[in-house]
Amino acid sequence: MHTTPNTIPSAVNDTASLLASKITVPQHVVYRNFPAETVVLNLQTGKYHGLNASAGRMLDVLVGSDCVSVAAASLAQSYGQPREVIERDLCALCESLLARGLIEQDGRQAA
Amino acid sequence: MAARQPERRGAQAPGLAASPGVQRIGHAERALLAGEILSAYAAAKLALRRAPIADAVSSLRASAPSGAPADEGSLREALRLGRAVTRLLRLVPGDTRCLARSLVLTRLLAGRGIEAKLVIGARTQPEFLAHAWVEHAGEPVLDPGDGSFGRLVEL
Repeated sequence: MHTTPNTIPSAVNDTASLLASKITVPQHVVYRNFPAETVVLNLQTGKYHGLNASAGRMLDVLVGSDCVSVAAASLAQSYGQPREVIERDLCALCESLLARGLIEQDGRQAA
Repeated sequence: MAARQPERRGAQAPGLAASPGVQRIGHAERALLAGEILSAYAAAKLALRRAPIADAVSSLRASAPSGAPADEGSLREALRLGRAVTRLLRLVPGDTRCLARSLVLTRLLAGRGIEAKLVIGARTQPEFLAHAWVEHAGEPVLDPGDGSFGRLVEL
């Protein structure tokens, strides 16, 4: 099997980089946890976003942790799930939030 | 966006309120206030088109005199202006819901040196709804909704 150069290594690098990153919520984003949902408001775009309870909990832990990897370990313990599974879910959530400008990775905003 | 509650309708024009202790104003002053509200509405719409909400609020407060300490008089004035904004903008075509009202009142209060916060809140049950209102000295001077809105941000 031939591996296309740059594709998989790049994805691996991106994931590794993301797992080592500190996640912050930029000043133009506010959020609040409600019983069944977390509401995130991007003040720059005026758009509201809804996160389900699990994603809201993930966001809380992400912003309170030194890096995504540490957040994954904490969540894996509290959910009783394999760390790899949580890391995959966390990275997917981070990428989704980064794309919407709702979080920053080590102070870097997504384009 | 607004959580509407039944609003009392009266025969009085914008700016006139029947509440005890509220000073009645004359036709000329009423007309001036109506003009000021419409001008503030135009400014608010323009500001929102040009910039994000936080910057729009800042621009509407620009060159305003510094806020004097809150007292009973300032609260009464803020409430009076809040009622006037609500009543007049109800008659104006276009989007004059809670955010527009809040921006207009923010400008009016800033112009009088009355400090105020524009609050944006939301609720998720029974369905998602966002709402904006204005507070002066911790008191709502525009309808804050039915109490179901959690505060997201104060500007």
